[in-house]
Amino acid sequence: MQIRDYILRRLMVLPLLIIGTSIIVFVLTRVGGSPIGIYLSHEMGPEQVQQIRERFHLDDPLPVQYFYWAQGVLSGDFGWSGVSAAPVTAVFPSKLAATMELAIASGIVAVVLGIWMGTVAGARRNKWPDHVIRVVSIAGASLPLFWFAIVLLIVFWVHLGWFPIGRSDPVIFDSIAHPTGFYTIDALIALSPRAFWDAIWHLILPAIALGYGATAIVARMMRSSLVEELQEDYVEAARAKGLPERLVLKRHARRNALIPTVTVIGLTFGFLLQGTVVAEIIFRWPGLGRWMADAVLRGDQATIMAYVMFASILFLFVNLVVDVVYAYLDRRVVLGE
Amino acid sequence: MLTNLEEHDAIVRAPDVIASVRDLKIHFRGKRGMVHAVDGISFDIRDGETLGLVGETGCGKSVTARAFLRLVQTPPGVYAGGSITFRPRRVCDDCSGVGCRECDGTGRVAAHCPACGGKGCRTCGGTGEETVDLLSIPDAQMRALRGNRIAMIFQDPGKALNPGLTVRDQISEVFLQHRTAEILAAAGVSPNDVLLRRQASQKSRAFEKMLLAVPPLRSGRNRVDAALDTMVADALAQTQIPNPRKVMDRYPHELSGGMRQRVMIAQALACNPDLLIADEPTTALDVTVQARILELIRELQQRHKTAVLYISHDLSLVRRVCDRVMVMYAGRVAETATSQQLFRRPTHPYTRGLLGALPGRGAHRGRLAAIDGTVPELVDPPAACRFVGRCPDEVAACSRTDPPMVEIEPEHAAACFVHAPPGKAAATRPVRTP
Ligand SMILES: Nc1ncnc2c1ncn2[C@@H]1O[C@H](COP(=O)(O)OP(=O)(O)OP(=O)(O)O)[C@@H](O)[C@H]1O
Ligand code: SF4
Ligand SMILES: [Mg+2]
Ligand SMILES: [Zn+2]
Ligand SMILES: [Zn+2]
Repeated sequence: MQIRDYILRRLMVLPLLIIGTSIIVFVLTRVGGSPIGIYLSHEMGPEQVQQIRERFHLDDPLPVQYFYWAQGVLSGDFGWSGVSAAPVTAVFPSKLAATMELAIASGIVAVVLGIWMGTVAGARRNKWPDHVIRVVSIAGASLPLFWFAIVLLIVFWVHLGWFPIGRSDPVIFDSIAHPTGFYTIDALIALSPRAFWDAIWHLILPAIALGYGATAIVARMMRSSLVEELQEDYVEAARAKGLPERLVLKRHARRNALIPTVTVIGLTFGFLLQGTVVAEIIFRWPGLGRWMADAVLRGDQATIMAYVMFASILFLFVNLVVDVVYAYLDRRVVLGE
Repeated sequence: MLTNLEEHDAIVRAPDVIASVRDLKIHFRGKRGMVHAVDGISFDIRDGETLGLVGETGCGKSVTARAFLRLVQTPPGVYAGGSITFRPRRVCDDCSGVGCRECDGTGRVAAHCPACGGKGCRTCGGTGEETVDLLSIPDAQMRALRGNRIAMIFQDPGKALNPGLTVRDQISEVFLQHRTAEILAAAGVSPNDVLLRRQASQKSRAFEKMLLAVPPLRSGRNRVDAALDTMVADALAQTQIPNPRKVMDRYPHELSGGMRQRVMIAQALACNPDLLIADEPTTALDVTVQARILELIRELQQRHKTAVLYISHDLSLVRRVCDRVMVMYAGRVAETATSQQLFRRPTHPYTRGLLGALPGRGAHRGRLAAIDGTVPELVDPPAACRFVGRCPDEVAACSRTDPPMVEIEPEHAAACFVHAPPGKAAATRPVRTP
């Protein structure tokens, strides 16, 4: 099968998966309690409460409620976000941009650093670089994110004051326009080096905190698959051709070692998104994770549904991308089997 | 280059010897002690000959073969002693490798001794030819020989080709590594063009590749690629692959086993090596394909007069293909002879056992399984004949010392106290090249 046909086929199944997910999540949130609390205030009397119940169809059976919700979603209405006191769709884009910027930054940290660390460790197996990297990655895989994030915060923000928290300096934020919501990109569009450095500066701590665990996973996967590839006959054959060790490693072994690593990177992205909740709370990053945490605490079901829908669509999409990249790297994979 | 002249006089005196192994010892550090995988073997490979290397599994054939390319992994391996001297050739100036009368059709001529420039001096023993010790030259010099002057064909082409690279990519690498000047000449590019010269020797870094992809520089890059494609296609055509230009774009898994082995052969012979090491090149193939691959190796070997070290389990194949045969047992040489001598008059009891295992004498398909017992543990072996315990003709002397190699007739020597007694032959006639 051609890669293109395969992608098309996968894309066609996608809506079914999304509808299924939405039903499950809808039912689960409703089972957890009525969403009415977010709309009430102390001044309301019983009649007003009843009015709200009717307005949001809260007395109807669950399938009917789901139907109303789905109808709204299809017409672009995800409901009212109680925690933001605004429609979900009005708040969502800027939160999404904040989260994606953080997740991508930590993803870059994890991929670049993880592959590099794994390559060095695998190529110098049982030498000192391997031992150092092993300690670093065991720590990364086992330290809880919140703990590591708080340590970074205390050391680099509280004590040393090298890095700020939050997402940007308010003055600098106001000095440029924000068409994309990705502050690094906005700064580049505005050709403002000051805003760009400010955005990067704010990103560093949360990206390292969030990316460390993923870096460790990628590095360990890369190391073990590289060690395995280096035992293969074709590596010896490459040496027998007279290639220098640099090319034996880069062109032959590392390329094939990347295949299993790519799968792990895809899974890691899901892991990163989960982590954004903790990282955003600790570093006061105004993204979806913190929004979602607030929503959960206050029973804001419209916001929860929006977040979960986003997360599941993203996850399905990432999986697709991983499969395609995997197929591209490993020509032996027969797609669709 | 030559470090210890006395030890290497065999190769220096005999102009037809292209590689000479002396007292080679390769050990492996194991849990229970040193495994003496190769334990003091000596032999010569002559120019243009096919030397067969046979023996049961685990007797050190592959380790010996890898030592020529210095590819034994260290650790766990240890080069514990001995030397491999080698006389590399260079491309003939008169025909630039095509083959002419000057070079006897081989496309290769002797490389001048770097110490005297070919006039003859003490280093080269007066021959004026370059001789190197493969176990002591620097890594860079070793790499320049690998795949260029000494090439290797591996047992399983399905594993020895990189699954992620096309046939073109894999064969190109050999040319890029060893034939940069020829690529540039064929592409009509000045050797002073740094960017393209780096491309044609696969030294380009990422930013250089990006530079080479933009229009003014791209045409030069494309010319280099086209020249390279032609060289790769020619190499493939030599192995009678139909439609080489199409095969070039294939990945190994898209080819049959026989085709893959042809690709391996094309890759190994791409630079017209002086010595080809074929480690069981047909074992992993279908029986029907085996014969054709064997013929192909034989034909190419004769056309280029390449010396071949041919490793096999299969004595009937060895008989068909090899000029001389060396029988190895447990890290030692048991017997060396011309093919005819070996089959007409096998001397060492081990050789006789192997021949007894040939088809038609009650054993299965030429495998060396008909001798009772197995190869002994090679961990710290005592001084004794390695065949003690399995040998039908054993005497008391066998367990006391190592039997020396003794010449029985010209070109034929064996290490056995009973069948090649040291007293007579060795005393009167000193052992020439075993
Ligand atoms: N990488 C290694 N590590 C440890 N020991 C090794 C290694 N390679 C080879 N040996 C030892 O060297 C001995 C000889 O191995 P070798 O591969 O040369 O055998 P062979 O004659 O090629 O056998 P086969 O016919 O099975 O290919 C083996 O018995 C093994 O004990
Ligand atoms: S030396 Fe002795 S044990 Fe060894 S092969 Fe000869 S007879 Fe057999
Ligand atoms: Mg072997
Ligand atoms: Zn010539
Ligand atoms: Zn000289």
